[in-house]
Amino acid sequence: MVYKNIICPVCGGSCDDVQVELKDGTIDVQNACKMGNAKFQEVVSSHRLLKPTIRENGKVKDVSWDEALEMSADILANSKRPLFFLGSETSCEAQEVGLHIAEYLGGVADSNATICHGPTVMGIQEAGCVGSTAGQAKNRADMIIYWGVNALESMPRHMSKYGVFPRGYWAKKGRFDRTMVTVDPRKTPTAVASDLHLQLKPNTDYELLSALFTILNGKEPHPSVEEITGIPIPVMKQTIEMMKESNYVGIFVGLGVSSSYGKHRNIEIALNLVKEMNNYTKCNLGALRGHCNVAGFNQLASYLYGYPFGIDFGKGYPRYNPGETTCVDVLREKDVDAAFVMSADLVNHIPADAAKYLADIPMICLDIAPCPSTTASDVVLPGVIDAMECDGTFYRLDNVPVHFEPFTDSPFPETKSNEDTLKQLFAKVKAKKEA
Amino acid sequence: MEALLNTGSTIDEGRLAKGGNKYSEDYKTECAVCWVCAEDFAALGCPEKVKVTSRDGVHSVAVSTKVTESVKSGHVFIPRSIWANVVVEPSTFSTGSPLYKGSPVSVEPTDDVVMDAEEIVLKLYMGEE
Ligand code: SF4
Repeated sequence: MVYKNIICPVCGGSCDDVQVELKDGTIDVQNACKMGNAKFQEVVSSHRLLKPTIRENGKVKDVSWDEALEMSADILANSKRPLFFLGSETSCEAQEVGLHIAEYLGGVADSNATICHGPTVMGIQEAGCVGSTAGQAKNRADMIIYWGVNALESMPRHMSKYGVFPRGYWAKKGRFDRTMVTVDPRKTPTAVASDLHLQLKPNTDYELLSALFTILNGKEPHPSVEEITGIPIPVMKQTIEMMKESNYVGIFVGLGVSSSYGKHRNIEIALNLVKEMNNYTKCNLGALRGHCNVAGFNQLASYLYGYPFGIDFGKGYPRYNPGETTCVDVLREKDVDAAFVMSADLVNHIPADAAKYLADIPMICLDIAPCPSTTASDVVLPGVIDAMECDGTFYRLDNVPVHFEPFTDSPFPETKSNEDTLKQLFAKVKAKKEA
Repeated sequence: MEALLNTGSTIDEGRLAKGGNKYSEDYKTECAVCWVCAEDFAALGCPEKVKVTSRDGVHSVAVSTKVTESVKSGHVFIPRSIWANVVVEPSTFSTGSPLYKGSPVSVEPTDDVVMDAEEIVLKLYMGEE
């Protein structure tokens, strides 16, 4: 049977037009990109984690679900300050249970945003955001700017589905009606596909944005900015003119802006430039969110606890202080004594000092395939693949919630979904704490 | 050579990571690679492998080299992966996010073996020999 309109659970694009056909031990996938297709193959892959394991005296052994959940509950109940890393490749429903366990135990809860667009969210908190849904940019934008993001390789269908190629109501000829600009220190495939590439020097986004802002305000930037950023002032002026002459400018930012020097201040000034640009034309800014449901965690944590990521429940109420209550910082400073990592390969993605400490403390990992985090874990709980094996909610890159339906079932009789696994774990944790 | 390290996605890194193949040879071939420009490659003596070391000199990782026109002199690129993250600057400047883009590193030719992802976890992070 062919299933249509399946949501892809891989990047923030949440493509909703994937078609799959499950045959005997194989899966045929249409419309997904290379990355999406690879994850759909996990439903039938030979390396899928199908049995819970624990590490005992340095040896890894298979155990029953009940034993694995018992040991996980022991680790968490005996921890003074556990870290809950509630990754993005699962539903808001599972993340919500994780947040509640963290609150119950007085732990720290964080998600991929912290090592991704966390600074973008902080920049939005500073400056506010002229945003839009992906459809607005698709229908209206005649100028697209990819700043610090290699869209073709991090969200491979962004250009074809939302950004550059699709025909929109006011951009009827698709690509031919749009000017595409990329700002990136590297000549990426996205930069090559652009009409204009500003190849700035690394860590000079703030200076370039300041100079653009100065030009927009009718002033001449200091000549030293050419040497600092590597971009000639006439090119900066040309960029501002192109923006002013457009009917709608859609700016998409990536980690190149939020992860280099300047961090959230880069985003803050970019958002202020966007606000000012709206005196001349329509202009908005959105983050290209590389992780599937990373936006969902921000939404969920904000409406449940008032903060978008890095929430510390240690004092009995939620606190948010990026740099102190965020995952990499609590690990680097050895401020937690156990960790629960769900649907994110944290060991792979954080710097060595933090990864080393994470490997030292008792760790429970919920995932679907072998990876550095499962290797370093004391307990591994097999994951259910959202949008393929269970239903739930993701938030797309533009913060639009998307409900997804599965096309097959969880391969485990013991659990229907990661939400279900976490609920079972929470019940065991409570039983131990309240015994 | 002192350089600024940029890390980020490549399509095959994404395909292999999302397909659960982080322990495959293909993943190592794609990700355990330092992209340098021709000028810097020549200055380094055209090495097959380089050792990239973090700013504080504490962490280093051996990776293969790849000559590319996509980066300028003084800048290097390693696809987002465990190899890159061994040397990424862990300070978050009070934001929670490490310096995945623009970390200062040093790069030198090496004969060290390029470890696979599992070896990095076991040897560098879990301390097994
Ligand atoms: S662009 Fe993202 S959401 Fe769309 S198919 Fe590719 S990985 Fe999946």
